[in-house]
Amino acid sequence: MSGAISNDQAEAFLYQEAALLDEQRWKEWLELYLPDCKFWVPAWKQDHELVDDPDAGLSFIYYESRGGLEDRVWRAKSGTSVASIPLPRTCHQVTNVRCEQAASDRMLVRSAWSCHVFDLRASAQHTYFGHYTHLLAAEGGKLRIAEKKIVLLNDLITGFIDFYCV
Amino acid sequence: MDAVTRLRGLIIDDPQGKDFRVHRDVFRDPEVFDWEMRHIFEATWIFLGLESQVPAAHDYMTTFIGRHPVVVSRDDKGGLHCFINSCRHRGAKVCHRAFGNRKYHVCQYHGWSYDSSGCNVHLKDREQAAYPPSFDKDDHDLVKVRKFASYRGFLFGSLSDDVPSLEEHLGEARWFLDLVADQGEQGVECVPGRVVFRFRSNWKMQLENAVDPYHFTSTHASYIHILERRQKSAAADVPTSIYTNIRNSGIRRGSFAFAHGHAAMWGDTPSPQARALFPTYDSLVARHGEVRARWMFHTRNLSLFPNMQIAENASLQLRVMRPLSVGETEMAIWCMGPKGEAAEARRQRIRQYEDFFNPSGLATPDDVANYEDCQSGLAAESIEWQQCYARGFEASVAGADNFAEEIGLHPERSLIGPAELGDETAFHPAYREWLRLIEAGLRKEASSPQPPGKVAVKVTK
Repeated sequence: MSGAISNDQAEAFLYQEAALLDEQRWKEWLELYLPDCKFWVPAWKQDHELVDDPDAGLSFIYYESRGGLEDRVWRAKSGTSVASIPLPRTCHQVTNVRCEQAASDRMLVRSAWSCHVFDLRASAQHTYFGHYTHLLAAEGGKLRIAEKKIVLLNDLITGFIDFYCV
Repeated sequence: MDAVTRLRGLIIDDPQGKDFRVHRDVFRDPEVFDWEMRHIFEATWIFLGLESQVPAAHDYMTTFIGRHPVVVSRDDKGGLHCFINSCRHRGAKVCHRAFGNRKYHVCQYHGWSYDSSGCNVHLKDREQAAYPPSFDKDDHDLVKVRKFASYRGFLFGSLSDDVPSLEEHLGEARWFLDLVADQGEQGVECVPGRVVFRFRSNWKMQLENAVDPYHFTSTHASYIHILERRQKSAAADVPTSIYTNIRNSGIRRGSFAFAHGHAAMWGDTPSPQARALFPTYDSLVARHGEVRARWMFHTRNLSLFPNMQIAENASLQLRVMRPLSVGETEMAIWCMGPKGEAAEARRQRIRQYEDFFNPSGLATPDDVANYEDCQSGLAAESIEWQQCYARGFEASVAGADNFAEEIGLHPERSLIGPAELGDETAFHPAYREWLRLIEAGLRKEASSPQPPGKVAVKVTK
């Protein structure tokens, strides 16, 4: 793939990312990200004010490369993290997808998300929800994620969160 | 069995017989939780927040003392006040945000208004109210908490008058607060970004875990593996860690048991060069001397009974515990750093914090999962006693050891050993204070004709 990204391609890409997360196909999920991708889940400063500078305020997760996500995928499957044994069942929903051409081969995609989490450890369920902003790039014949910002609206965390439930 | 007898049966504290035990009902019985609320959380000094979180006139923050919602507010002259967040009229909360700025707190229900010191300044339609004289005898201000004090910018309040001064309550544990406060020339601050999480376990799982060196290598095995993976991959952009090389460093761990339930755990830092503070070492020595600067670079976990902890290891974390029920706890956590810190050091501090401490980090989730697993397992009512208070017994000494002497402290007990010793004696002071406070509260209740806080209603005909 080269050149312009269509809205349909961008939308289908977001759905595929959600499916890979829910199906625990996390090696394939990682391949959606460029090696120098930015992955950001900012914390909230005030009721309606997010941390806007990750170097001056706190984030739930902030990486400037795929390495941090690779650490997390390894950890979740390693059998050495009790928080990941057993892993929860998750169901991501992505909707309200809005595309905006950012460059000839870049698309900025905004969407709303929710993730239903069934916590097998506690036999309990909860939902996280918020907004995504993806910056998609057409590289090497494929769509890849250059940047993803995840706004978590209900930031009263039930126990803990990880990449698979946001 | 009366309440005091039952209470005393829940803790075995026998220094001569070298025995210390805690009954599992302490973590699972709703009656015990009710005792804790009334006789600990609503009867002793509770940590509220930092002065620097309400820096400007009319700034406020909301939190809790036990089950009481409270407000810490700065008035127009810079004075700080702490009052109960409940309108005197019908009880509605008058401050609705975690943090805000309000010159007047106006109850939205009927318009009663209070200034930023909590004084009632307007009572809507008072002139037309036809109030009886008895109403005018009442105080209509927001109710101040009985005790409110600051130690070096750390704010504490108590709903009871019957407490020692804050300085006396903190005792020598203050030295560990000083060691945090002195890291910046203008003190310390919370990094913007508030994180709150809840877990399904008793609050004392967290109370113990902060001074538990034994869990680290098993609970945080995945974190240690990830540090080793990062060393091999040599990727430049991953967070550094003070725990790098922990397996090979032969580190020591010590603990101090203080009066009033406080405890500190300290240890060697495997990779001190990874500390955000590292570039300022020479300046810290110049300001505070070699010994105190060196101690700033030790890992230090301070647990101030009952609800505040400061962990300085992977980064610098402030934790505020709020028990919700016998089996549910809320934690508000903050990344702290020196005011005026260099941008690169601040960035490093934040990355290290996110890596380890957040409920989205690579370590805290495993602590939380363990707390919840413990609470689930404690449903086994037929098992009475925990076995987690005995490690280190034979290594613990009364009074100061060489390390306490070096820093001029006189703790009740001291301990030093290899990290693998896995000291559990640092849990003991919290349970001694726990028992002392609840017993005092139960005895006071038993000797009082009225339950505390309940005023006799006079019925006249």
